[in-house]
Amino acid sequence: MSQSFSHNVNSLNTNYTVNFTVADDRSNILAWLSPLDPSSRHQDIRDRRVEIVGEWLLQTEEFRNWQAGSGEDGSDNAVLFCSGNPGVGKTYIR
Amino acid sequence: MIDTLCDQAGDQNSTIAFFYFDFTVQKGQSPANTMGSLLKQVVGGLEEIPEEVSQTYQKQKKGGRGPQLSDIVKMLQTTSSKARTFICIDAIDECVPEYRVKLLDSLNKILQNSPGTRIFVTGRPHIRPEIEKRLLGRVTSLSINAERDDMIRYLESRLEEDTTPDAMDGILKAEILRKIPERISEMYVLWKQHLR
Repeated sequence: MSQSFSHNVNSLNTNYTVNFTVADDRSNILAWLSPLDPSSRHQDIRDRRVEIVGEWLLQTEEFRNWQAGSGEDGSDNAVLFCSGNPGVGKTYIR
Repeated sequence: MIDTLCDQAGDQNSTIAFFYFDFTVQKGQSPANTMGSLLKQVVGGLEEIPEEVSQTYQKQKKGGRGPQLSDIVKMLQTTSSKARTFICIDAIDECVPEYRVKLLDSLNKILQNSPGTRIFVTGRPHIRPEIEKRLLGRVTSLSINAERDDMIRYLESRLEEDTTPDAMDGILKAEILRKIPERISEMYVLWKQHLR
């Protein structure tokens, strides 16, 4: 009884260590790829955005073609460039 | 924009990476850091780190430096050709010009390898010829003007947040909502005529 108990504990420990190493490696690799993290800026914009601003853009043919396009029908519309002067709300398009 | 794509991504098996340029932190936004950040988001969304990425990491980690731009581009080429990838880049005009050349060149290489990848870029109008030249034959351009509806919605939401609501009555509010968009569109019309 005592033997089997200690065996179980050992196998739990082993599993724990293996998982920990994999997870640790994963976060090391991700940290190595870039020191920058744009997600806090994204949250900030999301908080300040008014819903539906820029909705018209999402309805344009240009946007729909860009979003639906794939490699097969050519990469001629792979990039959608939206230009505007400061303050028109480019960043806040939903 | 990113949220709209994210909402739709769930049923499309696609992945989204974004980056915001900001002139106040220009120096840190090098091509390697920027492209690395995009790769980090793509890889971070996968269940397992691709073999190619962990091998490159094992080879290069000893130097204590981040990955080379050329390696990042290679890794992004592979990962973005496996799942539909959307890349959103905001305020590209705020990127250092020398960095921007390398960034656009890197994006072009990714598109050569995985033409299904979609890239959404915003920036001021003066940058448009550069984008169209560096990503030749791949760009659709749209120009955004502060549309009247957007403006009214924005003003309404700001007035809602007014900390001294008693200082404003219905008449003043209606006047604000009428006059500001009018003035701005007048300015816009004048500016357009001036350009002609």
